[in-house]
Amino acid sequence: MSNVTMNDAVDIALELLGKDGGVAVGEVNAVRNLRWANSSLTTNGDTIDNTLSLAAFVPVDDGIASGIVSGQVRTREDIADLVAAARLSALSAGASQDAMDLVAGSQHADFASPATQPSEDGLSSIAEQLAEVFKDNSAQYFGYAEYSHDTTYAGTSAGTRLRFEQPTARFELCAKSHDRTRSAWSGQSAQSLRDVIVAPHSLRVQTGIAHQSNRIDVEPGQHTVTLSPSAFADLMIYMLWTASAREAHEGRSVFSNPLGGTRIGERLTSRMLTVATDPQLAGLETSDAVVNLGASSMSSSFDTGLPIGRSAILSDGVLSALASSRHAAAEANLPFTPLADNIEVRDANGQGSLEDLAARMGNGLLVTCLWYIREVDPQSLLLTGLTRDGVYVVKNGEIAGSANNFRFNESPVGLLNRITDAGASTDCLPREWADYFSRSRVCPVTVDSFNLSTRSDAI
Amino acid sequence: MSLPVIPEELALALTDAALDIAQSGGASVAHVRIATHDNRMVSVRDGNVENVGAESTTGFSVRVVANGAWGFAATHELTLDGASHAARRALAMARVSAAVSTDTVSLADEPHYGTASWTMPVLIDPMSVSDDEVVELLMSWNRKVSASSAVHHVDAHAAMGRDTTFFADLSGNRLSQRRFRTSAQLTGIHIGEGGFDDMRTCAPPAGRGFEYLQGHGWDWDSELTRLPDYLDEKVKAPTVTAGAWDLVIDPTNLWLTIHESIGHATELDRALGYEANYAGTSFATLDKLGTFKYGSPIMNVTGDRVTEHGLSTVAWDDEGVAAQQWNLITDGILTGYQVDRNIASHVGLDRSNGCAFADSALHVPIQRMPNVSLQPGKDDHSTQDLISGVDRGIYIVGDKSWSIDMQRFNFQFTGQRFFEIKNGEIVGQVKDVVYQSKTPDFWGSMVAIGGPSTYLLGGALNCGKGQPGQVAPVSHGCPSAVFRNVNVLNGRQEASA
Repeated sequence: MSNVTMNDAVDIALELLGKDGGVAVGEVNAVRNLRWANSSLTTNGDTIDNTLSLAAFVPVDDGIASGIVSGQVRTREDIADLVAAARLSALSAGASQDAMDLVAGSQHADFASPATQPSEDGLSSIAEQLAEVFKDNSAQYFGYAEYSHDTTYAGTSAGTRLRFEQPTARFELCAKSHDRTRSAWSGQSAQSLRDVIVAPHSLRVQTGIAHQSNRIDVEPGQHTVTLSPSAFADLMIYMLWTASAREAHEGRSVFSNPLGGTRIGERLTSRMLTVATDPQLAGLETSDAVVNLGASSMSSSFDTGLPIGRSAILSDGVLSALASSRHAAAEANLPFTPLADNIEVRDANGQGSLEDLAARMGNGLLVTCLWYIREVDPQSLLLTGLTRDGVYVVKNGEIAGSANNFRFNESPVGLLNRITDAGASTDCLPREWADYFSRSRVCPVTVDSFNLSTRSDAI
Repeated sequence: MSLPVIPEELALALTDAALDIAQSGGASVAHVRIATHDNRMVSVRDGNVENVGAESTTGFSVRVVANGAWGFAATHELTLDGASHAARRALAMARVSAAVSTDTVSLADEPHYGTASWTMPVLIDPMSVSDDEVVELLMSWNRKVSASSAVHHVDAHAAMGRDTTFFADLSGNRLSQRRFRTSAQLTGIHIGEGGFDDMRTCAPPAGRGFEYLQGHGWDWDSELTRLPDYLDEKVKAPTVTAGAWDLVIDPTNLWLTIHESIGHATELDRALGYEANYAGTSFATLDKLGTFKYGSPIMNVTGDRVTEHGLSTVAWDDEGVAAQQWNLITDGILTGYQVDRNIASHVGLDRSNGCAFADSALHVPIQRMPNVSLQPGKDDHSTQDLISGVDRGIYIVGDKSWSIDMQRFNFQFTGQRFFEIKNGEIVGQVKDVVYQSKTPDFWGSMVAIGGPSTYLLGGALNCGKGQPGQVAPVSHGCPSAVFRNVNVLNGRQEASA
């Protein structure tokens, strides 16, 4: 944006929205990334972008209508065009079901501060460290490093003025043997690539490749497995995404009570397992206020500015809450439960590392990554997907070799009651959902009778 | 340039500035792209409008090859300073990459096209239609379906897009083009004592204008009329017996199996390892070209960027390569790949087949899927003809769940509705059908194929690939086809296994 700053754009938009009101959200985003394959850097990117998004509220015969538009603005005239388009869309939409009074949220003192332009993001250091890794000719290396910095300005016609900065870094390293019969992966989520040291990742994937030199064929079926924090995070994140109060209340969810209402209050596992989001989670901090444009079962423009606290969907094994907008919560007669952009999965009795947990398992399979997870049946929340980059055969508490990969068919809700052991929660990068959801602190778990439905010959 | 990405004078000034800096900075290749993406969406839920929205974004990007390495930078700043800064940042990224690259970038030759433009032919630009018109259309669909007692909830949405892009390079290309896409879906939901179930329309997204939602290219009225009855029958249907079944797969389902097991598997960048950390690799490695038996001899698959109404149809790709059509699988044998200019050069091909694509100016072009289509049989067998030849089987209509492994071997799909076939006749629906196979086994089991009258262009708007992640629209044409002894799982039993 050339002529107006993003905080000014939010103020101008709200001024133009006038007494009818609305929400304005400006985002400034800078991303730098490196990608590599076959032990050589390949593509890269250095991008900057900004967007102003609006929800215009317009009184109509039977309530308040809302229209959403998004675009890039450079001048006051651009903003006026956007406001006019949003108001027009609102009139077409008619009264919003989720319309509620905006709340007077916080006014951040730094709202007028310019967006942060990160100067040193650690990318060059990552490239230099990779040069050392690529000298290892015993394997080929593949992977990705990204640093993004989002500055968000959110305002409402009720006076809310919020400014958030969200730095996000991720690093992934995959090693494959030259004959492509062995493959291992390691990933990390961080706030900066300067927090990433490549050597432990390269050691981890090299160790994985070494373990895979002894291949043990394992037939599909129901197996005792230990899921890494990354693998369990992918399953719990999907469960979180489907934990909608509205869908459960309407009888269209795994969290619906067959007799009516929801399953809140039902014990889903005998483990003292908690699944929560928390904007104040140390090291994984994220926005502590609702900033949303549009309507869904879990969110509403009209909630923008409301505080987000810690929300536990599962508390010590009991389904304790379901995500909602204020409107959805009122319809379901449940507490308003907005979610933060992170996840913590913790077992009160969880102890030790992934390796400790695998050792305690005694005999079974250690699964490092899950991939291509998709919903098969919403009623049971049956998910399918693949194991990837390391399924290790554990015998008498020791890794004896590696197995072939599998397709699994499992429900993240159904398996909760088959968890027999858990480790301590650690920060991890969910392999499947890292594009959208990278702030995760999750425990490894051991699950009985995990349905590894069919064999996959993929490496 | 004849298309209004941004004012022509400004676009050319930014382009010249960026290309000059790139060339003087040592770039052997420099590409400028300016792209505007307009999208709109309307959703309704149970007779109420849930969202009416639109977005428009424009970006400017520079991609260079310097010191043998790629460098890419992009910005929303459509000013001389913004363009110049992007060019300098692209050169800087190339320097970072060159120091740790052993893979020297070289582009296969392509003719130059000078200044040219192309627009996908549509009857009604979807961006020109009022929100009122889209809202009323979806509301009328909602009313029609919710009138049935079998339907307790209705979700429906329409999404439309228009991409206007400008490409320029050091060879003098100044190529502008515009394409469109339109899609809509409606889902009816039944809630009963036994739980809940749903049925969704099967209309694919298409490279068409708003006329598509008015009935040009799809019979919405017929589909919406029948949907409640299909849902009612599904709710009451018996659950499937797991085991080996013959499958007659309708094009509304088979397009997705083609996408996952052929489309992605024949991406040569995957086969060479460029996606190994993320999307995966491919079992269809280069050493198999010309000899690998991908499927039965009646299997012929093409790639193209020219199909009418195709979601991947363009005049030039994002490296200035003109649209083409080529063979991927011929008489069941792997005979081709999808490539961009770097991959083409890397494996010694004379020319790229035009598969470089970026989903916005803010993303670097990578090798993306063209329209990949299974050709119909020469004899015009109808779907009913195919069903008549099956003693014990299931006719599968509509796509739903999908998943495939990282080398494109093991896949698992479901569908919208499943009709049991006994002695060549449909006897009613069954439910909970999940079919699972391994790509060469599945295509090797294809014993019969429908004719041109069964051919349908399916497709998706959400094909994902690359890091950072990119999304691409893509079409897949195919006829109905018959597959012998495919492993069918029971979804309910899998959940309680």
